[in-house]
Amino acid sequence: MADVAHTDGHHDVHESTGIDNRKLGMWVFLSSEFMFFGALISNYMLFKGRDYSAFVPAGQSVILPRELYDIPFTSVSSFVLLMSSLTMVLAHDALASGDQNRTRVWLAATGLLGSVFIGGQVFEFTEFVQQGMTLSTNPAASAFFVLTGFHGAHVFLGILMLLSLYGISKRQGGLTESQGLNVELVGLYWHFVDIIWIVIFTIVYLIP
Amino acid sequence: MAEEHALAHPTPRQYVQIAVLLAILTAIEVALYYLEQSIDAFTTSIAAPLLILLAVMKFVIVVGWFMHLRYEKSLLSKFFTTGFVAAMVLYVAVLFALGAVVLL
Repeated sequence: MADVAHTDGHHDVHESTGIDNRKLGMWVFLSSEFMFFGALISNYMLFKGRDYSAFVPAGQSVILPRELYDIPFTSVSSFVLLMSSLTMVLAHDALASGDQNRTRVWLAATGLLGSVFIGGQVFEFTEFVQQGMTLSTNPAASAFFVLTGFHGAHVFLGILMLLSLYGISKRQGGLTESQGLNVELVGLYWHFVDIIWIVIFTIVYLIP
Repeated sequence: MAEEHALAHPTPRQYVQIAVLLAILTAIEVALYYLEQSIDAFTTSIAAPLLILLAVMKFVIVVGWFMHLRYEKSLLSKFFTTGFVAAMVLYVAVLFALGAVVLL
């Protein structure tokens, strides 16, 4: 099928699949992210149950991530991230109905909930370090910090994108149709970060 | 391709209902974790498949309804599913090959 190009008043949109190429690109990117997080989750699963007594001086006990997990705390964090997916989809819905004010409110709420999640992760990491588990304590601890740290970095990047959309909308008094697609793309990214956490929460925290 | 967009997107009220369902599923997951911790008969081999099932349900709900994949053209589903399945096959094979215990 030949490339189709049309204009939305601001720039050309190219599509040969009937799907905007930016949207297609985002879905392909998210699909590739499964490989990235799959590697980190596998890494954690590989190292979580091994014997690390050789890593500690005689007489000291091995500190493993799962001995330090605070499940009630992490459950609340998971709930917060799940609810941020709700506010994100409500932002997209508000924009689709042309309500710019409500879009900004939901974008801000999503960023706020994401910040609460990141704050929880910083608190969790700080607690673990204070209890003696650092990035270099043993391979299981290292795998845990790398996995959850990279996920946190993704959330942080998502918050920056949300703040950008909020700032643009505030400055212009609303988002154009083209910028509206950006809300959808950021939303896809945000929901993806959420589904990765769904997997991490189950495999890393809940299953022994 | 028009039939692929025939489904109407959920309303805000329905999005809230979906979020409540996700919250309930998360609460069940946490309850299963504590059951596994406190009841000897409720072993990991029983809890783990249930926890994975709940996670899969949450995953499908977020992807299908919040990411709107069920309302999109099938090409996007194919791309997304291919990445997911490829990663699963690769890493499960690697974990088996390296002798890691998978899931249980």
